[in-house]
Amino acid sequence: MMLRLGIVVGLSVAAMATAQIWLAHSRYAIAHEATLARHHMEDMQADINRLGLELASLSRPERLRELAKDRLGMAPPLPGQVWRP
Amino acid sequence: MSASKEVYVRRRLEVVVGLLAIGFAILVIRAIDLQWYQSPQLRDRAEKQRQRQFAIAAPRGTIKDAKGRVLAESIEVPSISAIADEVPENRFPDLATALNMDLHRIQRKLKSQHGFTWLARQIDPARAKRVMDLHIPGVRQEMEWRRYQPLGPETGHLLGFVGVDGHGLEGLEYSLDRQLVGRQGRELVLRDARGHTLPGGVWLQKPEPGAPVKLYVDATIQSLAYAALVEGVKQQHAKSGSIVVMRPQDGAVLAMANWPSYNPNSFRKFKPSEWRNRAVTDMLEPGSALKPFTIAAALESGHWKTSSRVFCENGRFRVANYVIHDDHPEQWLNLTGILAKSSNIGAAKLATDIGPKALHHMLSLVGIGHRTGIDLSGESPGMLLPSERWGPVETATIAFGQGVAVTPLQLATAFCILANGGIHVEPKLVQGASTRPPERVMPQYIADTVRSMLKDAASPDGTGALAVPAGYRVAGKTGTAQMPDRHGGYAKGKYTAVFAGMVPADHPRLVIVVTVDQPEKSIYGGVVSAPIFRNVASAVLPYLGVAPKEQSSPSLWRSIAVADHPSDTSSAPTGTVPSLFGKSLRQARSMLASRDYQLHVHGSGWVAKQSPSPFSKLPEGGAVEVWLND
Repeated sequence: MMLRLGIVVGLSVAAMATAQIWLAHSRYAIAHEATLARHHMEDMQADINRLGLELASLSRPERLRELAKDRLGMAPPLPGQVWRP
Repeated sequence: MSASKEVYVRRRLEVVVGLLAIGFAILVIRAIDLQWYQSPQLRDRAEKQRQRQFAIAAPRGTIKDAKGRVLAESIEVPSISAIADEVPENRFPDLATALNMDLHRIQRKLKSQHGFTWLARQIDPARAKRVMDLHIPGVRQEMEWRRYQPLGPETGHLLGFVGVDGHGLEGLEYSLDRQLVGRQGRELVLRDARGHTLPGGVWLQKPEPGAPVKLYVDATIQSLAYAALVEGVKQQHAKSGSIVVMRPQDGAVLAMANWPSYNPNSFRKFKPSEWRNRAVTDMLEPGSALKPFTIAAALESGHWKTSSRVFCENGRFRVANYVIHDDHPEQWLNLTGILAKSSNIGAAKLATDIGPKALHHMLSLVGIGHRTGIDLSGESPGMLLPSERWGPVETATIAFGQGVAVTPLQLATAFCILANGGIHVEPKLVQGASTRPPERVMPQYIADTVRSMLKDAASPDGTGALAVPAGYRVAGKTGTAQMPDRHGGYAKGKYTAVFAGMVPADHPRLVIVVTVDQPEKSIYGGVVSAPIFRNVASAVLPYLGVAPKEQSSPSLWRSIAVADHPSDTSSAPTGTVPSLFGKSLRQARSMLASRDYQLHVHGSGWVAKQSPSPFSKLPEGGAVEVWLND
């Protein structure tokens, strides 16, 4: 009787210890994933900022004027050419 | 077992039990010591090992233009730091090569210090990667926020720049720093014995990015204004120039630029003297561009009417011991003529008549001598001496813009009053910022009358003819002023050329002020600054959707005739050409016939243009050419 009780208690302790170890590892893994996700989110936000800046840099009026003039052969409208802006 | 051996075994057992008891007692005492007496300190140490606080820098707020385009943005860039004691000396050369730095500088930095030190801040990611790939002990990479302004020199003076500590040092970045700067966050992170992050970290203070700022400035207009200014200043081989473009209805500053400019993304490469926004910090004598306000003061005094005429002394007039000259000697001019011909003598006589107090009052009302209140640091109030200190000479010279100083922004704000029918609006850069409510500072009829006169000043016969873009009418005034020298006098041969005006003249959508310092090819505002005004106006008006008006519209020209006061034309002195604007062909023929002048006609309808200009001298039998429009 005592032996059976001892075996049950022993197995329970072993199971709980195993679960505790598994939980600890899970916590590490989840914490790691959460950290990675947060860094990923921060990187994405940084990319958005960087792309916004790149867009602003590429579409700056001075550059567009140069491209229109040099690459597309466009010229500013002559006086009086623009009637319906 | 013999008795003696039994005693021996018992003694040994007693010794072992005693030792065990002592050992257990020591353990109990140590446990009590650790758990009881040393508990608080040990708990603190454990927590410190388990917990770690991280400071998280927050980015500055974005600055955008009126159409939401990015003018300034913060992005994270790497910086390289080191724990000086931990970096092996034999790796110094590798570090210097990867960082593209002088080896002696690296040695000095790492040998003279202990602990943390910055090696290179805010560098490009490729260079940082090269350094980190070397895996040098003690060398670390940190991420910092860096400010970028995509328009570079075009917005350099306006926006200013940000230091490595993330605080604004010049321009709007400085004056709006409190709003733009983000709040640093602090996070408490739990770690295990191996240093891995555990769940359950808490924010002690969440990082808060700086508030975004939206300006009234339009990137396209800013770029056009800057390009036109650069071209104009270079053409004239001038030293520098400034331009301010405002929307008069609400005081919105659409563009503000100076040349030479600097690139705020690499501001350290430029001298501090090049950083200042001269459109708000530097004073200049406005010269004749101040005359519209002298005319306004004269009209407000009630002593003078638009039809009043002033004898302009054939270009030479003595006030006390000072002689005033006109570039174009004239005899009789009405108030419109004083502006159109830019007569210093006419303006001086008006000011002398109304007195210093009345002129000072008007100049003060339009903002001369007061800061405009714009969101920029270092703004100059200009210079307007108290009227008690004005003698006859000062009264006369201030009337044509000498002995008084304004900033380009002040002058633009004052011209907005004329464009707004006498209502002063505070210039503003930042949308949503509180400003003083609009205030009437001049009766509407005076503002409208002066604006109407300014149209003539920018007519084909006025000094500002080169400011007029095709299809539009401009109301504006040229100014040419000698630059002051260090000794309180005027520097010989150094001039500032000014043009200030509004366009379209009848319903102004833009007020533009252009100043050019020390031009070499010409010194006159009408030749140097007016073309810059025209280039900006002709590009910006279509962009704003303002269609050019046909100059053939009879209603347009008839309105000019009203402003020109027909009574003047009938009273034009003998030997001078009367004004024929707005007259029918029959009326024009009749008026010229009475003076024995010939008439050459182009087109049909009403007189839209004439040559020679009204009030010009013409001998009997001379020919007057007129262009008529249906």
